[in-house]
Amino acid sequence: MAKKLMKGCEAVAEAAIQAGCRFFFGYPITPQNDIPEYMSARLPKVGGCFLQAESEVAAINMVYGASGSGARVMTSSSSPGVSLKMEGISYLAAAELPCVIVNMMRGGPGLGSIQASQGDYFQTTKGGGHGDYHVIALAPSSVQEAIDLMQDAFDLADVYRTPVMMLADGIIGQMMEPVEFHPAESKRVLPEKTWAAKGWDAASGRPRAIINSLYIETEELQELNDRLQARYDAIKANETRCELYNCDNAEIILTAYGTISRICKSAIALAAQEGIKVGLVRPITIWPFPTQEVHDVICAPNVKAALNVEVSAGQMLEDVRLAVNGEKTVEFLGRPGSFVPTAEDILNRIKEMRRA
Amino acid sequence: MKATTVLIGNFGSGKSELALNLAMRSVRGGSSTVLVDLDIINPYFRSAERKHMLEQNGVKLIYPTYAMTGVESPTVPPDVYSVFIDEHETVLFDVGGDPSGAVALGQFKRNFDELGQLHVLCVVNCMRPFSATLEQNLTMMAQIQTRCRLAITGIVNNANLSYETTPQVIAEGYSMVERISRETGIPVVMTSGMKAPLSGFVRLARELELDPSYMGETYEIERYMRRDWESFTTLGI
Repeated sequence: MAKKLMKGCEAVAEAAIQAGCRFFFGYPITPQNDIPEYMSARLPKVGGCFLQAESEVAAINMVYGASGSGARVMTSSSSPGVSLKMEGISYLAAAELPCVIVNMMRGGPGLGSIQASQGDYFQTTKGGGHGDYHVIALAPSSVQEAIDLMQDAFDLADVYRTPVMMLADGIIGQMMEPVEFHPAESKRVLPEKTWAAKGWDAASGRPRAIINSLYIETEELQELNDRLQARYDAIKANETRCELYNCDNAEIILTAYGTISRICKSAIALAAQEGIKVGLVRPITIWPFPTQEVHDVICAPNVKAALNVEVSAGQMLEDVRLAVNGEKTVEFLGRPGSFVPTAEDILNRIKEMRRA
Repeated sequence: MKATTVLIGNFGSGKSELALNLAMRSVRGGSSTVLVDLDIINPYFRSAERKHMLEQNGVKLIYPTYAMTGVESPTVPPDVYSVFIDEHETVLFDVGGDPSGAVALGQFKRNFDELGQLHVLCVVNCMRPFSATLEQNLTMMAQIQTRCRLAITGIVNNANLSYETTPQVIAEGYSMVERISRETGIPVVMTSGMKAPLSGFVRLARELELDPSYMGETYEIERYMRRDWESFTTLGI
């Protein structure tokens, strides 16, 4: 298909529609506003439904309802708006409902700023909402990758009956890049949604579908939790993804996700010009985190140290350090808020690390 | 006499980039120039982001009160009225995208009507999602004209895929603006692009014997709106 010049937000919305999403419920907040705007223009033309809810809380509960009836449904927001959705996301996880949630991160905490940031890693990967649940979290590093991940985001949600989150920084949401759409094709066998509440009749012989996240009986709640944990184990075993870039024989390994990983690649090229071999491990799924891959690359004998780069106070840093488990030093470069490091900043730090 | 140019078009069609180019070229040519950033739609990617460069080069800039503060309050600055009566020879309006952005112009209709020379240019990038078909462009142009209460006087072919623009992309834009022009009777006044693809297009147009009357002036764009993230990777994206 011919290329188009698209903003990340527009591309994510179009990719969702091409993946079969027909319902979108959301509430405005910058820098994700172009998603609902695009959805409001396109969804009615493909027989879908766009609805601007009265709040983020309402929107995520509309997602709960649509998903409960078996629909492919999505919502999107930016950091403070996602915080408001967190209760609903926990409910979706508990009710085992598939959906896709996009977070185009902005600067925080609080209302923060409308500039890009990566401060929601903890919120996304460590719960955010209450209870022992996880969401599969995909972190694209380009507009094209956001498109390419979207079909699978919906499929993963259906296969594992879980909310899937796409966590992108505001830069991905706002930048325009030339992109291509490939005909949407599911690479997975999707289970029939026998659990969906679509209307019951006695003749069907099946039990009533009940969509619920309340389990009064201790044993019943335990059953749910056991089922969820078993599913999370399966997701960890089967769905962990990362990109290894330039890692063979590297003496320094960078770890970064999203747009920042691209700045790291520029820094790697700059380092190469000075004869310094630097590699990058880029998690594509930040939950499940590619613990084994990060460990194996950083703990290789030739690697002297690792540097984690993030626009945060050091959130993914904790997962990288857990993966390495003290076997190597993992340093950190980044600031909370919206200051994005440059390739030169990263190169300078690499040089400092070599001198040390 | 005052020459006033208003740039309208779909969101992301390249209005701000073109506005900056027109402003810089105008002031370098010795014309006293004012640029009005009238975008009340989008807090990012506005011509006012190049305030420093514009003012250093002597372009007066007027922009919404809260623009670039992180506050998203769509306000039209009161000093816009000054450009209709002051001494500036060249006045450029960079308007927000889509019909909703064009609304900001409507209130100045009376002032525009009194001007001697007014160019209302519709910037078209057929590589953008809502500008890909003739029908989409015609609908958008009709809606914008209704909202801004001004008649479009010229079409600009600004077909581009950012850093991946080729002469063929601009040629696709040519066939789109040719069809728009034939349908509406509005002339194509400009074909704009970065140096390499634009000169490639000029050669291609000669080979294909394209009709120059649907090209207008070929206008080389300098990238003032270039974003830091384009240098995120030196290895291509």
